[in-house]
Amino acid sequence: MASTSVCQMMMLLKDIVPSAANSVNTKFILLEKGNIKASKKCVVVNGVNKLQETKECMSLVADESASVHFLLWNTECEAFEPGDIVQLTNGIFSYHRNKLVLRSGRKGKAEKVGEFTMLFVEKPNMSDVQWQVNESDAKKLKESITSTELQKPPS
Amino acid sequence: MNTPAVSEHRLLRAGEHEAPDPTENSLREAFALLRPRLRPPFSLRTSTPSDYHQLVLAIVYGALTAPPRTARTHLVHLHAVVTDGYDLFTRTVLRLSLESYPRLLQPARAQLLWVISELIGADAVGVDRLVVSLLRWVRIGDFSQPNLWLAEGLLRVLCVRWDWLLEEPSVLTSALFLYLRLLADHYRLASDQKVEALKELEIDFCVRVVRQHFDFCMGMGRDLVRLLQDVAFIPEFRDVWKDLLFEPRVFGVPGYSDIWQLYRTRTPVQYFLLGITPEMETRMRFLFTHVKLGNQRRYQEWFARKFLCRPECETVVVDLVRFICCAHHPPNEILRSNIIPRWAVIGWLLKSCRKNYFAANAKLALFYDWLFFDDKVDSIMNIEPAILLMLHSVPEYVGFTQELMEFLFLLIDHYDVDRKDLIAQGVLKSFDMVVRKGVVQSLDLLSTCSLISPLLKERFNVFIHGSKPEAVRDLYLSSDVKTLGGPKKSASCEKTGFSHVKGLVDHLRATMTQAGSNNLQTLGRLLVTFAKLDKQAIDKELGGNSSTI
Repeated sequence: MASTSVCQMMMLLKDIVPSAANSVNTKFILLEKGNIKASKKCVVVNGVNKLQETKECMSLVADESASVHFLLWNTECEAFEPGDIVQLTNGIFSYHRNKLVLRSGRKGKAEKVGEFTMLFVEKPNMSDVQWQVNESDAKKLKESITSTELQKPPS
Repeated sequence: MNTPAVSEHRLLRAGEHEAPDPTENSLREAFALLRPRLRPPFSLRTSTPSDYHQLVLAIVYGALTAPPRTARTHLVHLHAVVTDGYDLFTRTVLRLSLESYPRLLQPARAQLLWVISELIGADAVGVDRLVVSLLRWVRIGDFSQPNLWLAEGLLRVLCVRWDWLLEEPSVLTSALFLYLRLLADHYRLASDQKVEALKELEIDFCVRVVRQHFDFCMGMGRDLVRLLQDVAFIPEFRDVWKDLLFEPRVFGVPGYSDIWQLYRTRTPVQYFLLGITPEMETRMRFLFTHVKLGNQRRYQEWFARKFLCRPECETVVVDLVRFICCAHHPPNEILRSNIIPRWAVIGWLLKSCRKNYFAANAKLALFYDWLFFDDKVDSIMNIEPAILLMLHSVPEYVGFTQELMEFLFLLIDHYDVDRKDLIAQGVLKSFDMVVRKGVVQSLDLLSTCSLISPLLKERFNVFIHGSKPEAVRDLYLSSDVKTLGGPKKSASCEKTGFSHVKGLVDHLRATMTQAGSNNLQTLGRLLVTFAKLDKQAIDKELGGNSSTI
């Protein structure tokens, strides 16, 4: 179980890189929340058909080094409000429906640790960074950094 | 794993995504560890300091989370083993209150009030600070049930513990400050039954304190007058207000003879903390310490969403303005930096008031220390935000500058008509001080800016340059004499008042015989009215011809 009391390497948002590994430990403040999108999925649980409802909500979060889009999932959607300071453990920064987002993922956990009292910058937005992976030695090159305001999903 | 019994006891609200609170954790761990020792018979053998420490933490947790009967047992235990006058116990509860009151579950809040009452009964060290911390958690402008419950519950505790309260003037006057403030809102804004009982309690409490313990109240200074003025319309306070203005001796305090003594006493900083909760204070101080000018938009949105979301919440803007002006004085390094200045936040707060009533009260809060300014008693940091706001609003928000100027003149003329001159002096001293101490380079902008209405500029000039209230407003008159093309009359007061007036009258009479315009006649009538102050002497001088003017 992810524990916030375990001493883990905390990183700044400007240093996160896209990866399939859930290894992002960071702290940020929530700037904006988009609309909550609910969807129902039919899943098979123990041989029985069940209707599973999932909720998603795109948000903009930031720390003193950068901002990034954070995808809130299920109970997270209602648990966090703009102004909340959140500690993320074992989060994952990867592509989700063609957008580069940070999220807690299956193995990660997001917890509210405070409100208001944190400085932040909105540029650069790590979700807008263009990444290129050099195949020969798997080094990443930042091609360009563009920042756009959070695009609210059409309702 | 916690034993089931312990996990039933909850202190703080704990959502799935809320990090555990370290203070609560240490309390719960102590409670879990020492659970067996918390049932009678209690061991009275002396323990090591760390053992005592753990025991006290465990008892705090038990007293706040256990059902009332068991909680009573915990306190009996505490009474038996206490060795430090309850200091550690009270400090722990105080920390919990300051850090986490909003997250305290309602049963724990009820227990908290009861614990405080018990601590008062035991004359515990530091319980005064604990009481004041709870007074601060009563939110101004919040008419929700939990908030009203706290206001009423706390007041009931204080009334039960009246004898103790009389020995703690600081707590007594803090409570008076809060409940007077609440009364104004409860009477005006809350119209339903749920506040009736509370209003009655508040009125009884406040009238009793002001009437019977005015000697304690005097130290509250000028904001006491501001608060009393806001409740003066309540029937039970009408007589109090009348006496305050006209019969000060009724209050039975030797040496107190006039309301001016209250006006010129600066209200101590501690009272301004009562109007805002510890949460608001933390956010405000963070803004003024860390956030750069230009980056405040989101912080202001979050603050407004949390504390100013409903129309009636705007009433707390008054208290925020008083706090900012009087209780938060940034050090020089911050003043010199690009951290957001106080005037900018005050401007935002004032503009966010939708109702005129709240906006007017907020402007009074901004200018209140101006009205009675005395550099021997007052701090320039109390008056600095207002002048900076007026000047920095030009040109983009010049309408706002005019609003503020007009309001200031309104205050000078009408705040206390019987003491208008003294108030004018206070404002003059304020203007003088902000220039002299370099808060602003000069006040020229207010008297020359083309975007400000000519009438307002003139009023400002007349106010600033007519430095002796009893002197003739020479500048006004001599400038008009100039336009008549007549000889220039100096605005100096070197000539005696009378001969100077006589000279003006002579000149005016001569000019008016040449031109009969209405303006000149009006001017003449003005002058004569002034001269009529000593009509006999003037008659004599002019050979009885004054009536021809």
